[in-house]
Amino acid sequence: MKSITSAKSNQAWIYLFPALLLLTLFLFIPALMSIYYSLTDYNMLAPQARLFIGLKNYLTLFKDPIFLKSVRNVAQFVIFVMPLQVGVALGLALIVNKKRPGNTFFKISFFAPVVVSLVVTSVLWLYILNPEQGLLNGVLNQLGLPSQPLLTSPKQAMFAIIGLSAWQGAGYQMLIFLAGLQNIPNEIYEAATLDGAGKWEKFRHITLPMLKPTSLMILTTTFIDAFKLIVQPMVMTQGGPMDSTITPVYYIYRTGFTDRQLGYASAMTIVYGVAIILFTVIQRKVTGAGGDNDDR
Amino acid sequence: MKLSKFGIVAVLFASAVGLSACTAKNDASGSGKDTVNMWVHYSKEDPEGKAMKQNINAFNKENKQGYTAKVQYIPRSGSGGGYEDKINAALNSNTLPDVLTLDGPNTAAYANSKIIQPVGKYIKNKDDILQSIRDQGTFNNKLYAIGYSESGVGIYYNKKMFSAAGIQESELPTLEKPWTWDEFMDISKRLKQKYNAPAIDMQLSDHSEMSIYSLAPFMWSAGGNVTNSKGTKAVGYFNSDETNSAFQFIQNMVKNGYTTISPKQKGFQTGKYAMMLSGSWTIQELDNQYKDIDYGILPYPVSPKTKKLVSPTGSWQYAMSSSTKAPKAAGALINFLVAKKQMYRTDMSNTVLPARKSVSELMKKKVNAPMQFLIDQNQKSGHARPVLVNYPQVSRTFAETVTKATYYKENPDIAKLMKKQAQDIQQYLK
Repeated sequence: MKSITSAKSNQAWIYLFPALLLLTLFLFIPALMSIYYSLTDYNMLAPQARLFIGLKNYLTLFKDPIFLKSVRNVAQFVIFVMPLQVGVALGLALIVNKKRPGNTFFKISFFAPVVVSLVVTSVLWLYILNPEQGLLNGVLNQLGLPSQPLLTSPKQAMFAIIGLSAWQGAGYQMLIFLAGLQNIPNEIYEAATLDGAGKWEKFRHITLPMLKPTSLMILTTTFIDAFKLIVQPMVMTQGGPMDSTITPVYYIYRTGFTDRQLGYASAMTIVYGVAIILFTVIQRKVTGAGGDNDDR
Repeated sequence: MKLSKFGIVAVLFASAVGLSACTAKNDASGSGKDTVNMWVHYSKEDPEGKAMKQNINAFNKENKQGYTAKVQYIPRSGSGGGYEDKINAALNSNTLPDVLTLDGPNTAAYANSKIIQPVGKYIKNKDDILQSIRDQGTFNNKLYAIGYSESGVGIYYNKKMFSAAGIQESELPTLEKPWTWDEFMDISKRLKQKYNAPAIDMQLSDHSEMSIYSLAPFMWSAGGNVTNSKGTKAVGYFNSDETNSAFQFIQNMVKNGYTTISPKQKGFQTGKYAMMLSGSWTIQELDNQYKDIDYGILPYPVSPKTKKLVSPTGSWQYAMSSSTKAPKAAGALINFLVAKKQMYRTDMSNTVLPARKSVSELMKKKVNAPMQFLIDQNQKSGHARPVLVNYPQVSRTFAETVTKATYYKENPDIAKLMKKQAQDIQQYLK
């Protein structure tokens, strides 16, 4: 009996091998290297001349005003984009879940932004958000409202990015919500109707609870994705005006690949990576995920 | 039994890693004293690549020492990766080629890290090479890299819009008698009143390296600078009265509405703005896609105090790696490629500004009037960008300073702003 299981598990290892190899080459080894580099003054142009400097990079980064600012910026982004994006996704899913003519058209329309590259989306939105000739200010003016500076304002720039990011990402979560919605058996709704439940009661007591596993999965992935914000500020504002849209990932990229300070960039990566893991664990504890069954 | 599981994985691992190591063997290092390997940052199909192919064939045929040159074409990707990624990887594995191309602002960082070595002694007829090109390639008083082309920026203007606003030909500045900031602002005022729009797109929405490249000449015209000549001090230089006056000028342009921080896309090309600050590359765009715009190019506005004309320059260069085993052959190749005939072929293929006086004279006979103007302005007033090891950080702080100056409500006091910005730059100097 024992030899059969061990033969089976040997086989399992062989199947696991390609994934393990790739993970090791592209995740574990680079992660370990980053930890080592974060303790050095590694400059990209002088790889051989790097010196071990202990925790100096870590001490610097907690006093680095741009890094701290980038953390505040991404916190603002996460706090606003999460409810907006997930809420819009749920709303869209509810709309297209009903069977009516033209449904496929709406599904495709809502999903289309997800398929388009983020860089392309960002460039398109640059036109929409242009303060002097953009579509958005045109609409505002038509409604009798004054033009807004949008991306050129340190106060509004991040909100503009939040808006377009939610628009861009919601289609994907809509599809997942839709799958969740279609998994709810119709009998439950029918039973509720017999008991005299109204639309809102059905939504509140059937749809929402039944969607819980789906919602948790969506919240977690959106949360992690939101922390990785880089493309929109990189393309649209280069982190400006006055660092109002710089994010940690963008700052890490800039420090490592433009300024060539790979040691310092590695230290930021480690701190930021650990912080995201901690936040995710806390989030899952608070929302009650991580149990035996809905851990997916 | 557990051990054997890990044993299987370990064996598979070792073989896979071994395989990948075998294929990663270097393909760059020279195979002898007479063979030169060179990397360039464009593709074989580009006009520049085709010219390079001709030049290399000529070198292999004509040189009498029996040297052979081989080129590897490694195009830059959209964000400037590709080529630079390859260089960075080669630094790690110590497999740089004998000769490489590098962008002007990289000279100091590459030289300081001892990636490249001085090439001055291999280059003939140096007096013919533009001063701006020699400055761009010089670090610690040694010539480390040599540019084979130039770039330039001027004030594009719409002739019809100018005459409709009542601006006479005789009022227009020339290279001999450029306009001062005050005269420039006066004309901007008239254009703004006539068209009820900003007079010029100064590309203030571009926060990239373009900022220091195209706007620093105002600072140099006033006699200001980013740092002292050694590149060790910014405080007292980046916030000198001279530097401050240039940033005050930029702020005044925005404050008066003569220019804008959020210009309309292609505003000049579509006749919405009467002027645009832009580089030589815009000539081709206008000539090919916006044929109905009748335009000319005017010189850079100058400080009213000094009246000194200064204009931007800089482009890619050739350099020799420190690790080369064939320095003589590499030197001969670089010298050959920047010689008059080869430079002319390269620069004409791409219609870019030349880096030699003699090539300038040759090219002026072949190109259109706007291009001729930029060639002349370059020879007369070209100024290289600062040669600093931490150029990326310094140029970004410069761009940030421009942005802050243009937010005139938040930063009404230029002297105060510049003091803070000078301290910011100081931290990047060695």
